[in-house]
This record gives sequence, structure tokens and C-alpha cells, in this order.
Amino acid sequence: MPSGWWLRKRHYFLYVVREFTALPMALWLLWLLWDIKSAGAGASGFQPPRGIGFVAFSAVCLAFAMYHSYTFLKLAGVIIHLKVFDKPVPPGVIVFTMFGLWAVASIVIMALLIGLGR
Amino acid sequence: MADKRITIQATRFDPEKDEKPHMQSYDIPFADESMVVLDALNHIKSYIDGSLSYRWSCRMGICGSCGMMVNGTPKLTCNAFLRDYWPHKVVVEPLNNFPVIRDLVIDMDDFMHKLKSVKPWIIRKQEIPLGAGPHRQLPEQVTEFRQFSECINCMLCYSACPVYGLDDKFLGPAAIALARRYNLDSRDQGLKERLPVIADSEGVWECSFVGECSVVCPKGVDPAKAIQQTKLDTTLRFTLPYGNRD
Repeated sequence: MPSGWWLRKRHYFLYVVREFTALPMALWLLWLLWDIKSAGAGASGFQPPRGIGFVAFSAVCLAFAMYHSYTFLKLAGVIIHLKVFDKPVPPGVIVFTMFGLWAVASIVIMALLIGLGR
Repeated sequence: MADKRITIQATRFDPEKDEKPHMQSYDIPFADESMVVLDALNHIKSYIDGSLSYRWSCRMGICGSCGMMVNGTPKLTCNAFLRDYWPHKVVVEPLNNFPVIRDLVIDMDDFMHKLKSVKPWIIRKQEIPLGAGPHRQLPEQVTEFRQFSECINCMLCYSACPVYGLDDKFLGPAAIALARRYNLDSRDQGLKERLPVIADSEGVWECSFVGECSVVCPKGVDPAKAIQQTKLDTTLRFTLPYGNRD
């Protein structure tokens, strides 16, 4: 396989982009673990980053996380083979349900974070 | 008006003479709009260069023999129309990800071994005697596996799969799709015999869902779907208390 195989087709390129989006998310989560460790040392040890650079990095990570989640949930209709009363559930219904659950989970987590932050 | 012509560029490789494959161009008449790439190769072999080697048989997209790379995409050459490429040249190469035996002929041994390893036939714990009549199935039971049974073993999916290209230990799309075809068949009882192969790290878990196998399949089979569904099934089998069923 030539090293540039993923540039040969749009489909390959989008696949590599999808896989790559996991990397910044992993870096962001590493930072979060570090922050939690710092917070464990008490208020004196906890210094949340406030620079514009970190905000920009977080925004990029959020965009990548959204794209990764979108591609993952969009494929749920292919992956999940579900039957209700012996009838297969249409892939479109599965995808719609997954996106619905994603929205509900996001709202619940956001409400919890805002509520706990007050 | 001058007769229409088209340039076919084909890979040539004679293992007794050549160190590596090279391309050779042929200018052929393109008189008939229904001509396919396989017709062009047959014209070259009949009238220009009889030494050109390639596989083909049925000419109607059934046998799966004539798969080659056509302008960089895995295609059945009997189903790739020249009119879709003319006036540009058509580059015909052997299928990607396989060793080349000669010209456009690839070595398919690896695929044949993988296919056999998933036991793509109906396995019964106890055979039903022939005298007992047909083993009936409901239409819904046939629908369960039908699309996976359309596979013609043409290997285009292996050629399109970068995972197989990077690691040929991967069981691959067609073998897994056919394993799923039999695992979903209500007459089959061979799931436990196939599981050690398909649920292995070189089985379904090697796939990272590129999805190109399903795009290039000339028969509309969705091997990527078969693989992802098998991942989910094997996980549920492993984790749920009732999962270890037959």
C-alpha cells in the first residue's frame, strides 16, 4: 500500500478525517484528567487555563467531537439490527432515535454542569 | 466521420522476464456503444497481442472472474462500459492488494483459504434425511440473509479495503459477509463453528469501518454492514447472560 492511499479517493480521505478527529479529543481528555488531578490538591493547586489559545483548542476539539459523534450516530442504522415484535426496525428510525438520545443526553449533562456550577 | 477509437492502457508482467509490472497502451476501435472493458481486452487479445493474460468467464456479472482496477477503481470489467470513459484513456490494472501472477491475473489463494475458513455452507448438528422433504423457510427468514447471499466472490471488496491492504491477515469483507449469510439462515446451526474465526482479532475486530467494500460491490451486498452487525452480535453474546446460545 502506498503511503498516500488515503488521498486516492474522497471516501478514504473522509474516513481518515473521521479517525483523526479522535486524536484532539484524546488530548483534551488528557488535559481534563490532569485538571482533575490538580483539583484534588485543593483550591491552591487548581489553576484552570483561561488563555485564548486554550479556548480556541477547546472549540476545535468540540467541532471534532461533534463531527465524530455525527459520523458514528449516522452509521448506527447500518450497525444495529433490531427487531420489535418480530419486525425489523427501519435504519432511519434507529438513526433518528440515536440523534434524539444524543440531544437529550447533551441537554441533561449541560443542565447538570450549569446547576452544579452555581 | 472517422471511426471512434479508444486507448486502453493495461498492466503487463511476465514473471520470467520482467522485474516489475509495466504499462502498455493499445489503441482499439470503439465502434459499439455497448462495448465494455472486457470486450476491449478481448479485442486486444484476438487482434493485437495474444499474450495478454486476464481472467473472465460469463460476461454478465455472475461469475465474478473479471474483476480488475479500471481507472483506479475495482470493477467487474464486463460491467464497465467504455462509453463512461471515452474520450479519455482507460487504465486497466490487476486488483489491488493481491500478488500478481501475470499481467492482469492475481493470485487468489489467500482469499480462497479465508473463504473456506468461515465454512460458507449450511452446517447441521443432525442432517435432515432427503426423504423428509424440503426444509421450508418463511419469506421473512429468507429476507434475513438474502442480500448477503448475492456475493459472487469477485474480490472487489478486498481490493477496495485499505485494512486488508495494510494487513492481509484480516479475514476480509466477503468472507465475513458470507459467514453472516449462513449465521442468519434459519436452517443453519454452525454459528459456534464459525465464531472462533469471525470473532477473532483478525476477524471482524480488525475492521475499522472504512465502508468502501460496500461502495464497490457490484451485486449490492453490504459487507460493511455484515461486519458491524457481527461485532455487535458477538459482543452481546459475550456480555449478556443468555448470549451463549446456539
